[in-house]
Amino acid sequence: MTGTAEPIVMDLQRKPNIHPATQAKGEALLAALADLRTGTGLATEYLKELPVPHRRVERWKHTPVSGFWTTYEAPKVQTIQAAGCEACPVPGLHAYRIVFVNGMFDAEASDLPVHSGVRCEPVSMIASAPAEAGNLEKSDWFAALNQSHATEGMKLHVDKGVVLDRPLLVHHHTHGQKSANFLRHEIQVESNAQVQLIHWSTSNEAASGMVNIMMQLDVASGATVALDKVQDEAGQVHHLAFEQINQAQASQVRVHTGTIQGKWVRNDLNFRLDGEGCDAVLNGFFLPKDNEFVDNHTTVDHCAAHCTSSEQYQGILYGSSSGVFNGKVFVRPHAQQTNAYQQNGNILVTDKATINAKPELEIYADDVKCSHGCTIGQFDEEALFYARSRGIGESEAKAMLVHAFIGDVLDGFAVQEVRMEVEHRLATKHGWDTWNDTLESA
Amino acid sequence: MVNIKELKASIGETQILKGLNLEIKPGEVHAIMGPNGSGKSTLASVLAGREDYDVTGGSVDFESRDLLEMDATERARSGLFLAFQYPVEIPGVSNINFMRAAVNGKREHEGLDPIKGKDFLNLVKEKASLVELDGRLRNRSVNEGFSGGEKKRNEIFQMAMLEPRFAVLDETDSGLDIDALRIVANGVNAMRSPDRSFLVITHYQRLLDYIVPDFVHVLVDGKIVLSGDKDLALKLEEKGYDWIKEDVIA
Repeated sequence: MTGTAEPIVMDLQRKPNIHPATQAKGEALLAALADLRTGTGLATEYLKELPVPHRRVERWKHTPVSGFWTTYEAPKVQTIQAAGCEACPVPGLHAYRIVFVNGMFDAEASDLPVHSGVRCEPVSMIASAPAEAGNLEKSDWFAALNQSHATEGMKLHVDKGVVLDRPLLVHHHTHGQKSANFLRHEIQVESNAQVQLIHWSTSNEAASGMVNIMMQLDVASGATVALDKVQDEAGQVHHLAFEQINQAQASQVRVHTGTIQGKWVRNDLNFRLDGEGCDAVLNGFFLPKDNEFVDNHTTVDHCAAHCTSSEQYQGILYGSSSGVFNGKVFVRPHAQQTNAYQQNGNILVTDKATINAKPELEIYADDVKCSHGCTIGQFDEEALFYARSRGIGESEAKAMLVHAFIGDVLDGFAVQEVRMEVEHRLATKHGWDTWNDTLESA
Repeated sequence: MVNIKELKASIGETQILKGLNLEIKPGEVHAIMGPNGSGKSTLASVLAGREDYDVTGGSVDFESRDLLEMDATERARSGLFLAFQYPVEIPGVSNINFMRAAVNGKREHEGLDPIKGKDFLNLVKEKASLVELDGRLRNRSVNEGFSGGEKKRNEIFQMAMLEPRFAVLDETDSGLDIDALRIVANGVNAMRSPDRSFLVITHYQRLLDYIVPDFVHVLVDGKIVLSGDKDLALKLEEKGYDWIKEDVIA
């Protein structure tokens, strides 16, 4: 490698890989959606050009999208109260809230931040020109679908040096069948500001349809953002989440993604480290069961020198579930002194569970430290028996081993109440005793 | 305390225990010796409830209860302890939390409330001193990065914490140097009492210099073929097992 080549970023510069039958399905979906709302955004043009994902599109190779080719209906429920849910999904959490139900802003359930230097509003209440399409919308059909169809979302602006006194919870709830929900959040955090964000997705048992959420997060120099992302969706919801995070000099961003439940989940998390001295942390866990599907695609693009990125994704796959992990790390030619770490561990609990794991590192600078590791294994039966032989019950022993496996990720959640609620929900989903590991010895 | 009658066990198609009889009374220490592959570790595993083995015949009575009816957790909570030949490493689970879960499991079985944090830590301190297990090892992940000797000391520490009625030590002496052997043996001896019994499985007589048994049994091909007192172990050390195969079985 000469070190002068510009890396190929995503599928953008590759020639379109159109599969006519799939393309027709995508067009049918657009027609179905057109009856519900009009696609208006700038990305409608891209929708015509881009390939609708199929198995031969590299980033969608192991991600079946056939569940999207169905019919959609206008939602009947528009408030969290009508959906019969608590206003806040995390007990005891003292946070600002912005709540969306079936893609619509629920003013009643929201508790927007009142803080000098912070503007937080639903997009529908602001008269502004639609954002320009970014790399994601120009390269990915589903991202373009978001931009062309999302008319709601949160717009957040945090002024220079402002430290938001409470976390800001962005909650989306899907209620009812065959809904098509698009949200587009635009967040700007100015220099040296500090914000904790929580992104929480839920749905009811009878829910179905799609959720397509895009988050654009621009973090200016010296700013710090923590994002705790939790997905706990019942029913048959197909969930697509795109995040594009741009970091300026010496900013710090930590994203923790926990997928507790979801029939079909795809997280597409993208970091661009644009200034020197950035620090990015992206950790996640996924514990699908039955026939759930969870896909985490991540990209960390080191564009500047002296940045660090640290990534750890841990998956435990039960039943006939399947998962995908794809972690791309680019280190561009001038991004010297980069320190990039990636780890992906997977446990297949049954012989029916599957994982497709792929670390992808493209390094064009010569003075960098990059490491990655990927493991696929089984539950340690020997450790389980050892615990039982000491009188620890089987379900507690399993919880203990799960904690040992995803503990680092759990510990990384920025908000303590979120971590506790995540553990509680995992225990409920899997029928574990909660494993209390707070005792410290003198 | 423990009464094993005509115990038969196999793994897959291979029968390993072929009608084993052994009675252990309260307070007694029994040693089982035998050549490689005679079924010593299988006996330990079957008693502890390892599910890889199929019990195909016989019975095990433990304090007037049918041991074979209980799962591994229940056996432990009822007072059976197995010190592993190869203690298992559990990365990410601290030794101390592991033991607290174990102690509370037993307490739950006995109808007691979970132990208070302070009482637990005092208990840890007391029992750890028995086998000279320092605080560093207590807080580390279970057995992770422990030396061979530290792992075996940790087994005896766990035994001391759980105060079993009947403890099976599966080749606890393997991989120990003389100092570690003495520490481990002292820990076991400190726990000897009129209402606690031990079954010590070993290849070598050396351990029995430190843990002096009341009875020594020789296991050959899945059966106990010879029993005696501690002098039998000395004779085995001197003459090996071949004479038994020739004289006793033939």
